[in-house]
Amino acid sequence: MPPPLRLNAVAFISPQNHPILIRTFQKGDELKYHYVAHTSLDVIEERTNGPAKSNECYLGLLYAMDDIAAYGYITPLKVKIVLALPLTDSVVRDSEVIMTFKALHLAYYHASSNPFLRLYDTPAGVGSSRWKCFRQRVDEISRAIGGTSVPS
Amino acid sequence: MQPAPANALSTLADPPTRMVDGAVMDYFLIEAVNALRVSSAVAAARAKKIERDMAEAGLLPPPPPAKQQNPRDSTSSTTGKIMGSVEEEESIRSRLEAIGMHVGGNFAERLCRDRSLFSDSLDAIKFVCKELWVSCWDKQVDNLRTNHRGVYVLQDNAFKPIARISSWEGRQEALRRAKLYVALPAGIIRGALSRIGFHGTVVPEITTLPQCTFQIKLPKNT
Repeated sequence: MPPPLRLNAVAFISPQNHPILIRTFQKGDELKYHYVAHTSLDVIEERTNGPAKSNECYLGLLYAMDDIAAYGYITPLKVKIVLALPLTDSVVRDSEVIMTFKALHLAYYHASSNPFLRLYDTPAGVGSSRWKCFRQRVDEISRAIGGTSVPS
Repeated sequence: MQPAPANALSTLADPPTRMVDGAVMDYFLIEAVNALRVSSAVAAARAKKIERDMAEAGLLPPPPPAKQQNPRDSTSSTTGKIMGSVEEEESIRSRLEAIGMHVGGNFAERLCRDRSLFSDSLDAIKFVCKELWVSCWDKQVDNLRTNHRGVYVLQDNAFKPIARISSWEGRQEALRRAKLYVALPAGIIRGALSRIGFHGTVVPEITTLPQCTFQIKLPKNT
């Protein structure tokens, strides 16, 4: 049985390139994952607007930094999801990562369908207490993957 | 123990679809328009009362005297009671369209899950014509015309929300009342397109019941 996939961080970025939610599951510092999400934006932009445009949603491995491998996914509605996984030697199956992205997309959809919460108008962003349900869903996804770490 | 996480993730990724009774949905949409009409009448009456109170208290200049009903302007409706003034209709329509925009955007989000990115505006319009129409109104659009410069005309020969409208006052009256019921679908289309990234306008037109056309104007920069 291959070891379960562990998740370091998840970042949702809006079509206007504003961060929606950045959630980390490691005890490391959060700012690093903000930085990871920011640099992934450039890579995503180059992959979607560059000469070799692909029509695929799943962008695969974007880049690898010290101990982080960043995987990207862009929905047809231009919401970008970036997953930061620890760089391990074990093989990372694409199908699992794609399933994770679909689950994250669904969690985002459930959160944004709430007509009483306007996603793009709140200056406080998603950190406020109203978006608790969204965060809980994301935590649940990370637990389902098999990560045993407590979200920070 | 090991298969459990995989199953949990796959149920989270692809939950079993929840169904809603189709007839209930139709009734709900019809009654929603009526409820909003009553609600906006109440809101307009409340606003007018506040205006009157403020005018009496001297804070606002007195409103202009109500215009006399010009006998030459009488509409063809045979009943004396006209269904709300024009501005009330406008306010209901804009409310319905705003609701539709929210619904359409989220619905598009849900439907877009398993498809690839949109290549251009024609692709987005085709998505609206096929997938959105099928999930909302059980059929596909009958005719799509475009002038390739950002204007698209979608024609549906038996549009579901107005397929069953009839009025004992005659065809013209039924047509007039049906105009309000297509405001919500127009909002849904507009919301879906704007979530995809194309901000344009959608104008519904009814010529004969139950045929309905939607004229979509998208900006030309795609």
